[in-house]
Amino acid sequence: MPLRILLIDTDAERARALEEKLSQSGFAEILRSPAGPSLAETLERTRPDLVIIDMALPDRDVLEDIRGVSAAHPIVMFAGGDDPAFAEEAIAAGVCSYNLSGVALQDLKPIMASAIALFRRYRRVEDELAAAKALLEERRLIERAKAILMQGRKMTEPAAYRWLQKKAMNENRKLAQVVAEFVAQHDADAASQRAERKQP
Amino acid sequence: MSDIVALSAARKAAAPKMRIGLLRLADGAPVIVAHELGFFADEGIETELVIEPSWANIADKLTFGFLDAAVIVPPLAFAVSLGIRGPAQPLVIPYTLSAGGNTVTLGRRLAEEVKEHSRRDGLTTVEALAACLRGRDLTLGIVHAYSTHNLLLRYWLATAGIEAGRDVRLTVVPPAQAVEALTAGQVAGFCAGPPWGEMARRAGVGATVATSRDIWQNAPEKALTVRTRWAEEQPEKLTAALRALLRAARFCDDPENAAYTAALLSRRKYLDVTPHAILAALPGGKRTGPDKGCVFFRGAATFPWRSQGLWFLSEMRRWGLVDASVDLRALAERIYRPDLYRGAMAPLGEPVPAGDWKHEGAHDAPWTVEAAPAPIALPADRFCDGAVFDPEAVPRPGKPVASALHKI
Repeated sequence: MPLRILLIDTDAERARALEEKLSQSGFAEILRSPAGPSLAETLERTRPDLVIIDMALPDRDVLEDIRGVSAAHPIVMFAGGDDPAFAEEAIAAGVCSYNLSGVALQDLKPIMASAIALFRRYRRVEDELAAAKALLEERRLIERAKAILMQGRKMTEPAAYRWLQKKAMNENRKLAQVVAEFVAQHDADAASQRAERKQP
Repeated sequence: MSDIVALSAARKAAAPKMRIGLLRLADGAPVIVAHELGFFADEGIETELVIEPSWANIADKLTFGFLDAAVIVPPLAFAVSLGIRGPAQPLVIPYTLSAGGNTVTLGRRLAEEVKEHSRRDGLTTVEALAACLRGRDLTLGIVHAYSTHNLLLRYWLATAGIEAGRDVRLTVVPPAQAVEALTAGQVAGFCAGPPWGEMARRAGVGATVATSRDIWQNAPEKALTVRTRWAEEQPEKLTAALRALLRAARFCDDPENAAYTAALLSRRKYLDVTPHAILAALPGGKRTGPDKGCVFFRGAATFPWRSQGLWFLSEMRRWGLVDASVDLRALAERIYRPDLYRGAMAPLGEPVPAGDWKHEGAHDAPWTVEAAPAPIALPADRFCDGAVFDPEAVPRPGKPVASALHKI
């Protein structure tokens, strides 16, 4: 899947050159946007993976707001006549932000490639984290379901686990799904029983 | 060997200046005045002012050490210190630069509607605005998520039962683009610092319906923030800078200097707008009616009250901008540094408040605060809903809130 890059640069010449280079590389789909108050709207509509923006534009505050609220985390790259050392510091600190001023266009490809690698790594870490969280949640639910069975039906632990596995197999569904449903059902039953007991 | 010596000497010579970042806003006046009128130089420090296009630039450059200090909205200083908008960088606030000055400016038709509604039905401005906003899916602009503007506007709207996100959309519009956004209809109104409300009026697209003081009288606004490391490494420079700023604050607060200050700020390298628009926001700058703009000196406006820092933090928590696990009081104490202020000003014989905390919003009328060597007269500090903010009432994590149950 090509990376969607939104390019916001008031320097038309530089923007055109950048666009050409990035398109040639084949890994990017370039979207152009004018600077200005419609940026939030444009981002909403295009949902880019990466934003390259002239650091001299106040629109960075708009991006920051969007970065803060959206899970897509567009990465901002700075282009502009700023101190190149600034970009180095930013990158060293793990911000995927670059300064492209003074960079010859033939050098752009490796810079872009490393930015994208950084971005992909970030995405992967996020994905791994989400997967790990899901796994933990699944384990927790299995433990709860087993406990419910052991207590309610006087099963041993291995028997409880086999029971759950068999249920999943019979229903031809994933264990995680079956267990989540089982625990939710149990909790709902317990809650309604409590409510009934409270009735005079 | 000599090369190394030369190199390190060159390094030292390369960054002797205190680099202070600011945006194109009138409430940074004391910093520009202190620089241009040589107040910093008189105190023996060289300064370089850097006009940045965005709060994001200010925050990033502070983070990576490309600025030593900046004019900042205090919530952003907290956000940078906590690392919730990028890498963390410890900052301190040893000085408050201004009070008041923000405007809630609406598109002309909406402003008319609000005024008409308020007149006809005897509603307060915010009640009338609330009535106009309900069911309309309108968008209002704020200058940054971690801004005083976001917190003040939300506070004000909430007093009339309007919740941002539910009844009205808030979107970030950089102050210098606010007029354009209003003209294009991208926002129905905005809350921003001076001179942008006045610029909208001059452009014929907007009208101001409220200012900071309609939300919180004498509301603290911009602050000087300094990288903690810089402040620790050169305490004398910091002291010198604060003294120069106090002198500039006194200058900017004098109505006689308003025209001069406005002309200075209007230069192309600073605000680059007509001086008349800036003048309206300066003390004494309005020919008629009471001042509704910035305060730079009067009423201990320069003192970094920890209770004000904690108010910002409590509001940030209220709107989910700060995690529940953060010890707000400890954070307010770490970043707001009245001790540094006192250290700089006390030897000058300047009256300095004796305490670091006060109840915010407790005074309907001018009052006097205990200070050394002499008490200071403070202005009224009421919130629009009459609430009183007691810093002691802010819950601390780890300490269970004493409830009625514990007393049985």
